Amino acid sequence: MPARKLYFESIRVGDELPALAKAPVDRVQLSRYAGASGDYNPVHVDELYAKSVGMPSVYAPGMLVMGMLGQLISDWARGGQLRRYNVRFIKMVWPGDTVVCKGRVSDRHGSGGRYFVEIDLWAENQKGELVMKGGSQIQLFYSLEDENRQRSGQSPIVVEVPRESLVVPAPAAPEATSAQAPAAPERDRDEDDEDDDEETGEPRSGASSKKTAPREKPAAKTASLPAAKKARK
Amino acid sequence: MLDKNAIGRASPPTLNEVEKGAIRRFAEAIGDYNPIYYDEEYARASGYPTIVAPPTFPASFHSAADLRELLGVGIKSLLHAEQGFDYERPIFAGDRIYVSTRVSDVFERPGMSGKMDIAVIEDEGRDEEGNLVFRARRTLVVRAAKENA
Repeated sequence: MPARKLYFESIRVGDELPALAKAPVDRVQLSRYAGASGDYNPVHVDELYAKSVGMPSVYAPGMLVMGMLGQLISDWARGGQLRRYNVRFIKMVWPGDTVVCKGRVSDRHGSGGRYFVEIDLWAENQKGELVMKGGSQIQLFYSLEDENRQRSGQSPIVVEVPRESLVVPAPAAPEATSAQAPAAPERDRDEDDEDDDEETGEPRSGASSKKTAPREKPAAKTASLPAAKKARK
Repeated sequence: MLDKNAIGRASPPTLNEVEKGAIRRFAEAIGDYNPIYYDEEYARASGYPTIVAPPTFPASFHSAADLRELLGVGIKSLLHAEQGFDYERPIFAGDRIYVSTRVSDVFERPGMSGKMDIAVIEDEGRDEEGNLVFRARRTLVVRAAKENA
C-alpha cells in the first residue's frame, strides 16, 4: 500500500529531507539514461570520443543527476504536487562517483486554501563536494482532513500562513530566520562561484514565483529574495 | 557574441505521446524504483489517475527545434549550466503533449576565460486542449564554431 502522505501542517522550516545515497554511477547507467532520455551526446556514452575531446572519461549528463535529486523530492513529498524544480550544475559526475542527495525546508506558506513548501536542494559526491544545487516548490494538502474534504468536492481548509522567512525579521543574523541554522556548512562550500550565479539566478526565480504562486502578495516575493541571498553567505 | 535576433525564435509544437514503457525505462535509468512510475494500481491508490512520470521526464521529450537553426550559429560545444521546470500538473502515462521550443534570451556573461555566450531555451508542453502542462528552461553556455571550421 502507498506510503504515508506528507501534509503541510506537519512540516517546519529547517526540517531536513532524509538524505538519499544513490548507487555509484557506472557506464551501463549512462547508456541506459542516454536511451531513456534520447540524448546520445557521445561525451556521455563513448569513452574514445570523450577522451578525444580532452575528458578523462565519459561523464554523467547533468539531467541524470537532476533526476536523482528529483527522486529525493518525490520520495519525501508523497501526496504533494511538485510545482517548481530548478538546479544549477556545479561539478561533473564521473563513473564510480556516488551521488548523495540532500534537502531542507526553507520556507512554508499558504493562502486561499493552497499550501506550499519551499525546499533547498543539493547533491554531493562521495568526497562531500557540491555537484549540484537547486530548489523546489511543492504544493500540499494542509492535513488529511483537508485532503478528504477536497477529494469529496468540499471547499479546502483555509488557514493564512505568511512566509516564515518574513515572520522573523532578523537582518543582523540572517541564519536565524531560517530556523535551525545547520544550513551553513553545506552552503559555504560553493561560496566561491556564487558571484556568477546572480545574473541568471535572479530573474529566473522572480519569474517563476510569479507564475506558480499568483496569489501571493508582491511583498512576499521581493522580501524573500534578499533573505535567501543572505542565507548563502 | 550570439545574435540577439535569435530571441523569440521558436519551433512548431511536436506531439509527444507518454508511454508507460518510456516512463519505466526513464525511472530505471535514474535508479528510482518508486512504484508510482511502474504500477498502475499503486499509482491509483496514491491518488493519481494512472502511472506518473518522474519530474525530469520532460527531458526525454523531443521537439522540432534545431538549436543551431534557432540560435543561427554553428555550435562547437554546449555546456548545460542550469535547468528549471514549472509544472501545472503531473505528467501521466497516456498524455499527448505538444512540445515547442523557443529562445527566450541570449546574452554575454563574464567568465573565467573572457566573456561567455549564454542562451536560455524554453520548452513548453501543452495538452491537446491547449492547456499548459509544463515549462522547462535550459541555460546553456554556448561556444559557437568558427566560420568554416
